[in-house]
Amino acid sequence: METSIDEREVELITLMLQRAVSEMSAEACEQCGVCPSACPVARHMETFNPRRMIAKISLGQIEELLKSPEIWTCTSCLKCKERCPENISPYDVILVLRNLAVRAGYPYPEGYDDFVKNVLDSGMAQQPQAVRTRGRQRRDRESLGLPPAQRPRDMEAFSEILGGIVKAGRSA
Amino acid sequence: MKYALYLGCTVQAEQYAYEASVRQVLPRLGVELVEMEGASCCGFPAFSSISSLGWHYLSARNLAIAGSLGLDVLPLCNGCHLSFTETQHALEKDPHLRQFVDQKLAQEGLNYSEGVRPIHMIELLHDIIGADRIEEAVERPLEGLKLASHPGCHAIRPSEMQRPDDPEDPTKLDDLARALGATTMDYPEKTDCCGSLLSTASGRTTLSIAGEKLKAVRDHGFDGLFTTCPYCFKMFDGRQRAIGATIGDRSLEVPVFYYTQLLGLAMGVEPEKLGLELNMSPVDGIVKRITGGSN
Repeated sequence: METSIDEREVELITLMLQRAVSEMSAEACEQCGVCPSACPVARHMETFNPRRMIAKISLGQIEELLKSPEIWTCTSCLKCKERCPENISPYDVILVLRNLAVRAGYPYPEGYDDFVKNVLDSGMAQQPQAVRTRGRQRRDRESLGLPPAQRPRDMEAFSEILGGIVKAGRSA
Repeated sequence: MKYALYLGCTVQAEQYAYEASVRQVLPRLGVELVEMEGASCCGFPAFSSISSLGWHYLSARNLAIAGSLGLDVLPLCNGCHLSFTETQHALEKDPHLRQFVDQKLAQEGLNYSEGVRPIHMIELLHDIIGADRIEEAVERPLEGLKLASHPGCHAIRPSEMQRPDDPEDPTKLDDLARALGATTMDYPEKTDCCGSLLSTASGRTTLSIAGEKLKAVRDHGFDGLFTTCPYCFKMFDGRQRAIGATIGDRSLEVPVFYYTQLLGLAMGVEPEKLGLELNMSPVDGIVKRITGGSN
């Protein structure tokens, strides 16, 4: 479906991202190490370290981060944000970096586009499916007596509005 | 007590045991659930990562639908609950964003309403209904069961977004389990993540993170784990076999429940009505213990 890109949307996204970047306050970071010690991913992946990310930002190496796969390996557990003694939120910084990376046209995991496509097509990220019981019998919403699934009333209008928002401000 | 029931993607599409048990137990405790016609995804986690504007639009859209019903909204997922709360803050803070969202919602004939409160399941059960009232409803106490509570990250963090329980020392799910007659115990891994949201980027790390927690729950001597988050449940219950294979622990057999399933069992609801046949983890032993084998 053709969706027009509204200049005002691009402006708004730019404004939001600029504000978020200015709120990153990476210079307040004392590199104390609370965030990587709380982080479940840092325990398993050497490449991922919220403290190092904040350091790179304060050194102005944002472009390098935008290109790196590591900004996509946060579990969103929010321990870093909760425990930072300087009230810095590596989690929110990562969300901003992801949004910036997408706008700049850098690669990101495929699953995100599938998720977005499903929402544009049906209003939800997943379609109701049949599941199995432990005894391998088939069950679905109807056989379990659950009411019909919800979706936007006017799917076409919904997907045109949302599709326009998603496309606004993307480089390609 | 009357709320707009927001299922969210995972519950509506596959986590039927949660929905079924919620629909069984809440009305018995005096809660009326109203369907949210026209609801859509909340936007978390994909839109928040790649289109923050799309994310806030989606969350605001659902809040607008609840508002049109004149009700507070009860999302069944930790992620959706945090998403709604974050969007409310963002719209309050940023008049440009608010104006944008209002304009987009108007195209579907919707109005954003500030007064809609996202109610968390833990808040509803613990703070609104109350452990005392739940205890009074118990017909089959879960005596002799030692259960590990798992609130899930977004139920407790970030504390600046009004979460229903303490970020470092959550106790409400434990209170709720004790109201059913079960025993609970604090454990060091209680506030740890299930790893779910990493599955898009690294499936193996996801399973390893979940494995650390499940293994700890078993090693601490718990009989089972319970939660109110469908993302976490899907990981610990549905993927337990894959988790065991990944961490090289084939004997990982931890029964996993939704709190509302345990509540239903304790209230005397038949296991089939609580979707207990849909749990993939080995729950039969505990279900038989509670029902006396009679079902």
